[in-house]
Amino acid sequence: MTYNMQNTLLYVENLSVAYGDKVIIKDVNLVEKDVVREGHITGQVIAVVGRSGRGKSTLFKALTGLVKPTSGKVLIADTQTGAENDAKEVQEGDIGFVDQKYTLFRNKTVYETMQFALRRKEMTTEEKHSQIMQYLKDWGLENEKDQYPCELSGGQRQRTAVIEQIFCSGHYMVLDEPFSGLDVGNIEDVKKAFDLITASHEFNTIIYSTHDIELAVELADSVYVIGYPTIEGERMDYGTIVKHFDMKEIGLAWKDYGLDHIEVVKQIKEVMLAS
Amino acid sequence: MKQLFTPFENVGKNTRLFIILGWVLLLVGFWFVSSMGERHLFPSPQQVWQGFVELYNEGLVVHIGSSLLLCFSAIGIAIIISLLFSYLSTVPIIKPLAKTLSKLRYLPLTGITFYLAILISDARTMQVWVLVVFMSTYLTTSLLSMLNAIPQEEFDHARSLGCSRWEVLWEVVVKGRIDYVIDVIRQNLAIVWMMLVTVESILVAAGGLGFLIKNSDKFMNHGRIIALQIVILAVGLFIDFALNYLRKAFFRYSKI
Ligand SMILES: Nc1ncnc2c1ncn2[C@@H]1O[C@H](COP(=O)(O)OP(=O)(O)OP(=O)(O)O)[C@@H](O)[C@H]1O
Ligand SMILES: [Mg+2]
Repeated sequence: MTYNMQNTLLYVENLSVAYGDKVIIKDVNLVEKDVVREGHITGQVIAVVGRSGRGKSTLFKALTGLVKPTSGKVLIADTQTGAENDAKEVQEGDIGFVDQKYTLFRNKTVYETMQFALRRKEMTTEEKHSQIMQYLKDWGLENEKDQYPCELSGGQRQRTAVIEQIFCSGHYMVLDEPFSGLDVGNIEDVKKAFDLITASHEFNTIIYSTHDIELAVELADSVYVIGYPTIEGERMDYGTIVKHFDMKEIGLAWKDYGLDHIEVVKQIKEVMLAS
Repeated sequence: MKQLFTPFENVGKNTRLFIILGWVLLLVGFWFVSSMGERHLFPSPQQVWQGFVELYNEGLVVHIGSSLLLCFSAIGIAIIISLLFSYLSTVPIIKPLAKTLSKLRYLPLTGITFYLAILISDARTMQVWVLVVFMSTYLTTSLLSMLNAIPQEEFDHARSLGCSRWEVLWEVVVKGRIDYVIDVIRQNLAIVWMMLVTVESILVAAGGLGFLIKNSDKFMNHGRIIALQIVILAVGLFIDFALNYLRKAFFRYSKI
């Protein structure tokens, strides 16, 4: 499949985050560009995998501007200015973020949550209502419309959190373990949502973490492995990108899951076990 | 039978009622027996009833009303002050002020009254402000710990939805925690209610339950004193119940 790369959408340079004296992630560098394919609108899907406690969630908080990096920077494309290739440092609110615990407003029902997410959109109240109802129906949350987060199951809370960010965020969306706790049907829903998001705008970029390596390889066109690096024979105790699999380059992106994918899964698992 | 004495055992609704009934009967029985002889610590139920009738005739209801009014105006002002300080304690420059206000609860009441007396001459206003100063310190303490208990994820969630910092404060802390504020008031109510009676008996103004107690004290009328104690306890418990009911009725999501 032919494709080429244009504007840089995400540029991370020498990023490190420490809590107090404890360095959690260090020397993280990555560049993601807008993928352009003839005849398709192609957003970007980026997966981050790594063993527990290696710093995936921490990396995501830095990417979304929710924690200040100790050093380094995160740049995203500035689509407001109209000029090509304009970049700006990421700030809180620029990137939608669904955290690992699917946090919601405890005092808002599912419907009110959606209304709040749409508060800045220039639409009439009726338009907002019908959009909300459509999503609730598609995602199987119709009956839970007037329930509060404490009255939802884990999976329902998570779907609410995902829809909320779809409504609110711009081109970027970061999801921390969006597939955990979902049943087979819900996983399909989230996959469909990924397709919808990436098919609706060239710049749309989804970054997600998962412990399900198969899902990372199947859906993403770029897979990063976070782990403890081994430098000069010595294992460090901070997380960094230990390996990058560019699925586009390997020729496995946008393809049905097959034997080649399984081979990549095996490689990723090896890298993970060694880090 | 054995399950009644087993730790962590769940019992049915009826059993629970029977247990409570048993205890109440035991208490009433003890009261009757212990107040029968010549020399006794507690007045007999008849004496208490008589004390109650006397009190009623002297305008008990008006006195309760007066105490309640004092209680509500003091709590009203105190909660506004404490809320202001606690909400603004999220702003770094205000934080030390809020913390100091909370620490002032170790000040003795006498010191507070001394300084307030210089400023205020009217006894009723004085009552209100003694309680306000006293309560603000406790309410602020509880509100600050409520704020501390909010998980970082809730703030991050609001921020990721493009809320400005003030909006985060408004959505997560102010709107998102109203039910907690009601519970904070409820939990501190016992202190106000106790202090209120004391304050009323020290600074005599418009009557009130504290004033009544002090009067009964003078006459060594045991029946009256116990009757009053029961009334004070009952009114306090009723406000407690009402606040809890309000919280649950208005905030369905409130599971504290
Ligand atoms: N607020 C914090 N203060 C101090 N240390 C923290 C904090 N948050 C996370 N850590 C530490 O940072 C490390 C990475 O945590 P992080 O949550 O990023 O891991 P993760 O890769 O997302 O793991 P998982 O797959 O289990 O979610 C852990 O060792 C954790 O103990
Ligand atoms: Mg994590």
